[in-house]
Amino acid sequence: MSAIKTFYLSRVLGSRIYSPELDVIGKLEDIIVDISYERPKIVALKLKTEKGHEEFDSGPFDLIKRRGKYYLVCKELKPINLSKINHVYLAKQILDRQIVDVNGRKVVRVNDLRFAMIPSGTFLVAVDVGIEGLLRRLGLAKPLKFLLKPFGLSIPSKFMPWDEVEHINLPNLSIKISSPYSKLLTLHPSDIADIIEELDRNSQIDFMNTIDEEKAADVFEELEQDVQISLLENLPVQKAADVLEKMPADEAADILDDLDKEKAEELLNEMEKEASDEVRELMEYPENTVGSLMTTDFIAFKKETTVQQTIDELRKLKPESDSIYYLYVLDNDEKLLGTVSLRDLIVSDPDIKLVDIMNQRVIKMQDYDKIDDLAEIISKYNLLAIPVVDNYSKLLGMILIDDVIFTLLKSRKRKL
Amino acid sequence: MVKQKTNFWKKILIFLAVLGPGIITGSVDNDAGGITTYSLAGAMYGYKLIWTLIPAFIALVVIQEMNARMGIVTGKGLADLIRENAGVKTTFLIFIGVLIANIGNTATEFAGIAGSLEVFGVSKYISVPLSAIVVWFIVVRGTYKSVEKIFLIFSLFLFVYVISALLGKPQWGEIGESIIKPHVEFEFNYVTMVIGLIGTTICPWMMFYLQSSVIEKGLKPDNYKYSLWDVVIGSIITVVIAFFIIVACAATLHVNGIEINEAKDAAIALEPLAGSFAAMLFAFGLFIASIFSACILPIATAFSVCEAFGFEAGVDKSLKDAPEYYTIFTIILLTGMGIILIPDAPLIQITLWAQVANGILLPIILFYIMRMINDKDIMGDYTNKAFHNVVGWSTALVLIILSVVLVLLPIIE
Repeated sequence: MSAIKTFYLSRVLGSRIYSPELDVIGKLEDIIVDISYERPKIVALKLKTEKGHEEFDSGPFDLIKRRGKYYLVCKELKPINLSKINHVYLAKQILDRQIVDVNGRKVVRVNDLRFAMIPSGTFLVAVDVGIEGLLRRLGLAKPLKFLLKPFGLSIPSKFMPWDEVEHINLPNLSIKISSPYSKLLTLHPSDIADIIEELDRNSQIDFMNTIDEEKAADVFEELEQDVQISLLENLPVQKAADVLEKMPADEAADILDDLDKEKAEELLNEMEKEASDEVRELMEYPENTVGSLMTTDFIAFKKETTVQQTIDELRKLKPESDSIYYLYVLDNDEKLLGTVSLRDLIVSDPDIKLVDIMNQRVIKMQDYDKIDDLAEIISKYNLLAIPVVDNYSKLLGMILIDDVIFTLLKSRKRKL
Repeated sequence: MVKQKTNFWKKILIFLAVLGPGIITGSVDNDAGGITTYSLAGAMYGYKLIWTLIPAFIALVVIQEMNARMGIVTGKGLADLIRENAGVKTTFLIFIGVLIANIGNTATEFAGIAGSLEVFGVSKYISVPLSAIVVWFIVVRGTYKSVEKIFLIFSLFLFVYVISALLGKPQWGEIGESIIKPHVEFEFNYVTMVIGLIGTTICPWMMFYLQSSVIEKGLKPDNYKYSLWDVVIGSIITVVIAFFIIVACAATLHVNGIEINEAKDAAIALEPLAGSFAAMLFAFGLFIASIFSACILPIATAFSVCEAFGFEAGVDKSLKDAPEYYTIFTIILLTGMGIILIPDAPLIQITLWAQVANGILLPIILFYIMRMINDKDIMGDYTNKAFHNVVGWSTALVLIILSVVLVLLPIIE
C-alpha cells in the first residue's frame, strides 16, 4: 500500500470509492474540475452508486494503490451544486477529444490526463498526447516497457503542461468560460488560422463567433478560401458582416466573389453602407484586372496641405504600416499628382506645401489594366505598392506588394 | 414563370456544386475486388444473381445517407466520432481491423492493375511499381479539388462496361425475369456468392471515406437534400455498373460454360466471344477502377487512423509535419504492392481474407454508427427518425448476419 502524489485519469476511472470506514460507496465515473484555476482543481467526482449516477463534492481524498489497482478514500461526500462553478467533466469533455497545443501550434488528441496532489488540493497539470498515453489506455504500456527495457529502449511519451493547451468546443457547456480561447489568442493571426483549419466545422464556427470582430477579421484573412466560404455561410449573418467590414475591402470583395450571389448580397446588405459600397465597387472588376486586386484604404492629401498638417493628420489616423510608406498627393478633382515619402516629410520645412516636395514621376496603373503586367512593373521599379487610377487619372486605390505575391502564388498553385 | 425557371436553374447549380462525394464513393466501390466478384457471379450463375443488386442498393443508400448526415451535422469524421464515443480500446481494435483489411484491399487493387495490363501484354513487374509511383504523385502532389476532378472523370470511364455488356448481346427477357422472380438456392457456393456480392458493395472504409469527403466539401445542413441525391446517384452508379459487369459475363462466359478465376480471365475469355474490342474495354475498365481505388484506399485509411489517434494528417501536410500519416500511407501502399509482386502470390486467398476482415469490421462499425446517429448530444435535431431507424437497424442486422456467415463459411469449409 502506498500513497500517491501524481496519477493519471485513465488509471482511476472505474476505481472503487471507499468511505473512511472502508465501506464501498461506488465507482468513479468522471472527475469534474474547476477551470477558473490556472491549473484546474478537482472539485467533484461523478460516481456510480446503487442509487444511480451522482456528482459529489470531492473534498480532500486519498488515493491508494494496492496490487496495481487504485482505490479512492473520501473523507466525506457532500452533494454539490455545480451551477456556480466553471466546471468541466474530464472524461466526457476532454479525454479523447481534440485540443489545441498552443506552443506547437497544432491540434492534438488527448490520450490521458495527469494530476498532482498537493496539500491544497488535487490539480490537473498535464495533458498526455503521446504514444505512451495510448498504450496505457490499452493496458499495454507496462508490459511493453518491461519487454523493451533489456534493449535499452523506451516508449516515446509526450506531455503538455495544461497552461500550454486550449480546449475547444465543449459540448453543451452551460456556463460561458470567463475568457475563452485566451491562450490561443496570444498567437499570430496566421498561426491561429492554421490551427482553426484543423478543427471541425462546429468548433470553427464557435471560435469565430466567440472572439471579437477585430481579431476575427485578422484571423479570417489568413484562412484558406474554402474555410472562409464555409464560415461565411455558417456564421450568423451579423457576425459575418462585421468580420467582412473590418477586413480590407479588396479581400472582402475576393471572398464575396466566390460566394453564391444571394448569400453575398445578404451579407453586403447587412454591412455598413460605407464599407459595402466600397466592396461592391471592387466586385465590379473582372478577375484578371488590376482593379480587382486594389485596396481602397490609401492615404492621400490635397496638394495645398503643408508638411506640418500632413504629419498631424497622420498622427491622428495612425494608419497601418503597409499603407504609410506611400502618401499620395491629389488636386481638387482627386487626380493623382504625385507621391510623398515619410522621409520627404521629415526632412522638409513644416510650412512647405506638399505640391512643392512631391515626386511627380509616379508609376501608376489603370483599373482595367491586366494583372499580368502588374508584377512586372512592381518588380522593375522595386515598389512596395502602386497607385491605381481611372481613365481621368483619378486615384481609386492602391495595390500592395503582398497582394501581388499572393495572387502569383495562387496562380502557380492552380497550374500545378 | 420566369421566376420558376431561374429557381430551377439555381437548384441545378447548387446540386452540381454539392455533387461529388457520393458519386466518387459510388465509383470507388466498384474496385478490383468488386469487378472480380461481379465477373465471377455472372460467369458462374448467369443472370440469376442480378436481384441481389436491389437489396445492396437499398443498404448502400441507407448507410451512406447516415454517414453524409453525420458528416454534415458534426463536421467530424467517422474515425473522430468513434474515438470520442467508443473509447480507446474499441477504437484501437477497429483500426487494427481497418489496417489489415485495407492492406488486403490495396493488394487486390494492385492485382487488378497487374491483371488488366497483362491483357495488353504488360508484365506486372513493370505495371505495378509504375502505377504505385503514379498513385504516390496523384495523392501527394494533388490538391483535393484537382484530385476530385480527376476522379470524377475516372468515374465516367467505368461506363465502358455498358458497351462491353451490349457487345455480348444479352438476353433481356431472362434478365427481367431474374429481377422480378428472384431465384434463391440454399446451396453453399450460391450463398457465398450472394454474400460476396453484397459484402463487396458495402465495405467499412467506404463509410470513412464518404464522411470525410462530405466534410472536406464543407457541406452544411441546408445542403442536406442535395447531398442525399448525391448519395442516391452514387449508389445508382455502383449498382448499374455492377449490373452491366454481371450481364457482360453472363451473356458470354456463362452461356458458353467458361469458368474464370479472376477479373482478368473474364477480359481474356471475352475476346473470342464478344470481339477484342469488348475484351479491351473490359480490361481498361478494370485498370481504371483499380488505379482509382488504389489512390483512395491507402490515403483514406492513413487519414482515418491519424484522425482517430490524433496524429497530424492531410495531403497538404509536409513529411516533417505529419510523419505518422505518411508512414502509414507508405506502408499500406508498399505492402499492398509487395504482396502482388511475390511470384505466384495466392491472390484469391488474399481477396478472401480482405473480405473476411471487412466482414468482421462491418457489424462493429455499423453498430456504432447506429448508436451515434441516435445520440442527441452528437446529432442535435438531426437524429434518426423512426423510419430511418427501422430501415437502418434492419439493414444493419441483415449485414451483420451476412458478415457473420461470410466469416464463418471459410472456417466451416
